[in-house]
Amino acid sequence: MKAATVLALLFILSAGAQNTNPYTTPADRESGAKIFRSHCASCHGIRGTGGLGPDLTSGSFFHGSSDADLFRNIADGIPGTAMPGVFFEGTQVWQIVAFVRSLSGASAASSVTGDAARGQRQFRQQGCIGCHLVRGEGATKGPDLSVIGSQRSVAHLRESILDPNRNVSQDFWVAKIITRDGTAYSGFVMNQDTYTVQILDFSRGLQTLQRSEFKDFGIDRSSVMPSYRGKLNDEELNDMLSYLVSLKRQPARSE
Amino acid sequence: MIGILLLLFLTYASQRLTAQVTYERLLNADSEPGNWLTYSGSYRSWRYSALDQVNRQNADSLKVTWVHQMPTSHRIETTPIVADGVMYVSEPPSNVFALDAATGRPYWHYKRNLPAKINVCCDAVNRGVAVLGDRVFLGTADAHLVALSAKTGAVLWDVPVADSQTGYSITGAPLIVKDMVVTGIAGGEYGIRGFLDAYDVTTGKRRWRFNTIPGPGEKGHETWGGNDAWKQGGGPTWITGSYDPELNLIIWGVGNPSPDWNADVRPGDNLYSDSAIALDADTGALKWHFQFVPHDANDWDAVQVPILVDAEWQGRPRKLIYWAHRAGFFYVLDRATGEFLLGKPFAKQTWAKGLDSKGRPERLPNSMPTEDGVYVWPGVQGATNWYSPSYNPLTGYFYLTVWENKGYYLKGEPKYTPGNRYVGSVPDIDVPEDPGFGAIRALNPKTGDKVWEYKTHTKPWSGVLTTAGHVLFGANGGWLSRGREEMEAYFFALDADNGKELWRINLGGAMAANPITYLANGRQMVAMAAGGAIFTFSLP
Repeated sequence: MKAATVLALLFILSAGAQNTNPYTTPADRESGAKIFRSHCASCHGIRGTGGLGPDLTSGSFFHGSSDADLFRNIADGIPGTAMPGVFFEGTQVWQIVAFVRSLSGASAASSVTGDAARGQRQFRQQGCIGCHLVRGEGATKGPDLSVIGSQRSVAHLRESILDPNRNVSQDFWVAKIITRDGTAYSGFVMNQDTYTVQILDFSRGLQTLQRSEFKDFGIDRSSVMPSYRGKLNDEELNDMLSYLVSLKRQPARSE
Repeated sequence: MIGILLLLFLTYASQRLTAQVTYERLLNADSEPGNWLTYSGSYRSWRYSALDQVNRQNADSLKVTWVHQMPTSHRIETTPIVADGVMYVSEPPSNVFALDAATGRPYWHYKRNLPAKINVCCDAVNRGVAVLGDRVFLGTADAHLVALSAKTGAVLWDVPVADSQTGYSITGAPLIVKDMVVTGIAGGEYGIRGFLDAYDVTTGKRRWRFNTIPGPGEKGHETWGGNDAWKQGGGPTWITGSYDPELNLIIWGVGNPSPDWNADVRPGDNLYSDSAIALDADTGALKWHFQFVPHDANDWDAVQVPILVDAEWQGRPRKLIYWAHRAGFFYVLDRATGEFLLGKPFAKQTWAKGLDSKGRPERLPNSMPTEDGVYVWPGVQGATNWYSPSYNPLTGYFYLTVWENKGYYLKGEPKYTPGNRYVGSVPDIDVPEDPGFGAIRALNPKTGDKVWEYKTHTKPWSGVLTTAGHVLFGANGGWLSRGREEMEAYFFALDADNGKELWRINLGGAMAANPITYLANGRQMVAMAAGGAIFTFSLP
């Protein structure tokens, strides 16, 4: 075996044992994207938004979010789940990790310079708490933000505040239902099947309604949230973002 | 009626004493509806039962009788086998339970130790076992075939069928033919070379193998473009076929060519992918074939259960096959010759202008995957798929589960590396903004016309069963849909004559299996897998 081959082999072996991803160039991401499309997308979706397998675009992963966790779960699979391992060298697995990371915008600016405490006050003053729930306080006319800092990138949060209509998750389309007896319901669709619809009605809370009772069932795909463009200056926006980013998932308390 | 029941019960009781599932009994499985002896209920694969205790008048009183929870985190796609009071049910990935069919109490549990890494395209599932004599046969996720003692679950033999480290696996239920156990193979997303195998039931020694992708010098090899693509040509056989004892033909469906969504490397028709094949049961020699989709690039496997019916066709009696194929056409074929007799769409399709006089599709432009993506009906999971259809001799209808949806087909680079996926990109399996819907449909098999349909909000992943009580059992929901939709999980009974709903129950877990029915202590039971469990139902 030639020395160069030995060196290359050692490099590949050591690449597999790293804790942080050594393959993060745009070319690596591109290679990872190609592998993802063939090997991962049938369960996780072409854009990584999920399907049979979970959504990979939040930057937070149920079975561990470090580079080493992602490497292990891709290479070996996750026991007890439908996630299989792959028969690839370390380099290719790291390239997949690089691509998966790019899905959450984690490579974009992920830190903000604002003041989280001021942001928290803003959050109340601007009336956000009138629609959003944060750790049990507030209302349910919008997404629960209790751990939003663990779920969404800064870029996503910025867009949601300035341009809430650009990308409305299906979870927050508003169902408008009128039943045969004339009762009107309005809220988020929590679930639906052939016979029933489960909604979080804005005034009545959780309700299961029978489709056979519907006179009218419409879905409004626009966001109920107003844009804050022009209502917040740059500093206030950064404060708000800092506050939202600080809302991280917390470890369970031990008894 | 009481006389028939008594007769059924006496037959059942006497068989229980002997406790041997002979080949003779498999040949005449129709005549003992108290048992469910093969994957599709009989060699004709009607998934029909002559039991009528549960019928149109009383199905609305069905209640849960027992539930058997299985300690698995994989999806349950099994069809249970019931023989002489014992239910043999596979637990994914590759385990087996023997249960008392009346109470659900386990007798034994075979648990297989699998290699750390196996690759099964869409979860390590198993669709069931086969029985003969006092043996139970199981194909495994690591591509072995195993014979177990029906009494204890002890391993009698365990033979490798193929190498699981290069993408081969077994997910389908074996079929007993004479003294052979016939098994298909899975791995169409891993660049395998598919086959159908027969093994000696006593020794596990292989009797024959039919390669679904012909090699150099074999007929059909010329349809592979003259390069090496055939070596990874796919053509898996992962759904249990049927058997015609008079013609001595095994009729089986062959899956997609590999790579699935980029056909550039394999110019030609790519025989015998996406085909029905008829093999001599003693030698495995090919007698005829019928290819549904030549040069497929949409993953439209022909892995459906062939339904064998003897009926009058245009004025004379003929041996027929009814076959609703994944790409959206219902076919009638002559099963002695493979001659094409009828082909008609049973769901929306935008890929074929029609079928010519030989049944070959006339492909429309813009129906193959492209680098930018193209919408085509049906979607990649097809207008139907592997889940079983049913034929009911009392109504004369063919019943099936249908998906009305489109797919977004993307073409990518095909690169073969052993053990890894070899697909050439993947399509968007579901289109959330336009997900389509599902349905149970009844077709008139003489014309292919729709007689009735029962629409479902989500697209079902389960097959159908019909009975002499004019009842159809089916399910909606399933495992592959976005987010919340996967929660739909109803098992229901419909009037087989008109599709009217008779009864339904929310089983609260993904359903992707086929129902069966049998007798336990003279009482008709209906069994269906849902979530992590087998549920059974009977009248109070």
